Amino acid sequence: MKHLNQEQLVDAYYGGKDGVAERRLKRRLDRHLGGCDECASAYDTLKSDLAAVSASDVPERAADYGAQIWSRVAPLLPPRPFEERRAPGMGMWRGLSYAAGCAVLVAGAFYVGTVWEHYRHAGKTVAPAPEQAHAPAQPKVVVVVLGDHLDRSERLLVELKHADSDSAETAPLKDEARGLLAANRVFREDAEKDGDADLSTALSHLDKLLTGLADHPGQLDAAALSQLKDEMNADGLLFEVRVLRSKNPHRNAAVRVIARGGTA
Amino acid sequence: MGQNERATIQAVLAGDKDAYGALVVRHSRMLFRLAYRMTGNEADADDVVQEAFLRGYQKLASFESRSDFGTWIYRITVHCALDRMQKRRAEAARRVGEEADPELDSVQVADASPDPERLALSAEIGALQELAMRGLTAVERTAFVLRHMEDRSTEEIAEALKVKPNAAKQTVFRAVEKVRQRLVNMKVMA
Repeated sequence: MKHLNQEQLVDAYYGGKDGVAERRLKRRLDRHLGGCDECASAYDTLKSDLAAVSASDVPERAADYGAQIWSRVAPLLPPRPFEERRAPGMGMWRGLSYAAGCAVLVAGAFYVGTVWEHYRHAGKTVAPAPEQAHAPAQPKVVVVVLGDHLDRSERLLVELKHADSDSAETAPLKDEARGLLAANRVFREDAEKDGDADLSTALSHLDKLLTGLADHPGQLDAAALSQLKDEMNADGLLFEVRVLRSKNPHRNAAVRVIARGGTA
Repeated sequence: MGQNERATIQAVLAGDKDAYGALVVRHSRMLFRLAYRMTGNEADADDVVQEAFLRGYQKLASFESRSDFGTWIYRITVHCALDRMQKRRAEAARRVGEEADPELDSVQVADASPDPERLALSAEIGALQELAMRGLTAVERTAFVLRHMEDRSTEEIAEALKVKPNAAKQTVFRAVEKVRQRLVNMKVMA
């Protein structure tokens, strides 16, 4: 075995105070020291050196030294120097309460921000009166005259007759058809009630054409226009309308009030 | 830790400040011995003991009842003494180039015996010891005192210094080497 180095000699000197592994090491080192004069000599020198600093005389203190220290410490102790001992789980509850507090703060800030934004925008735009804001939209009331209705229907049919597939021309036709539908239905119902078969038949026919025109999806291309004219016999209908206008001028003065977007 | 000491600690925690006095009286002398060996100065050792009990009182709520109060306050004292030594060394470093600190330059020895002969011997030993240990850093001196004079294990030293056991062992070894070197130098000078 090699000779022990200084660290091993120090281990041999102090090792017995440590754990099992250290004590085992010390026993091994002691065995070496028992059989190696050179190492034993070095170890004796170490012991001698350390002995010089072993005999440490500590100044004696009076028997009441503890009481003296207490008399110096007691006035310095704060009245409540530490928190009450926390019950198990208090840390968790404290953490949870902090988290809940933060959540409430964030929610409160969000709510205040929302309200603030609402009032900021309300200040920039004209706010509707409360009753207007919440009241349902009232339909527009329109006074219609049968003669005018027939005039407009005639114009529509003429335009339809001469319309081509240009979207710029057909778009107003659809809007006009929608505008005529409500009045047409009112006058048709009146004619049915009054037993005016000619007027009722003509307006019923017109109703189908107006509905087909108003509800036609997308643009009216050449094929759709042609189909509509053929199916609805637009030319025949135009003739019927013209006859009605000239046939009964008295009736054409009939007035009805309709609600645009609703019924009369 | 005995039932009596545990009950005392509970009383202190419950607000009975005077109960802490019993703990102070019981452990003061043991702490003074440690503090003196670490600082090498009576006045500093007294202050360290006082500071340790103050810190202990403030931290008592964190004391685990299953451990020993004596061991706990002992570790606090180690740290108080370390702080004191480092403060002293910092003060001494500031004085370099100015005037020498007579308290640091002189070696304070115990005055325990009325016998003049023994007093002289004790003073000589104390002076030798103090001179031999003067070259150590605060941590090395602490490790050496705990190991060599207080008979503490490597694990206890490691816990007190808040280092790993191997680091504590190395610190002790370094301290031993330095002490021996200084002793050799003193013998040469003598």
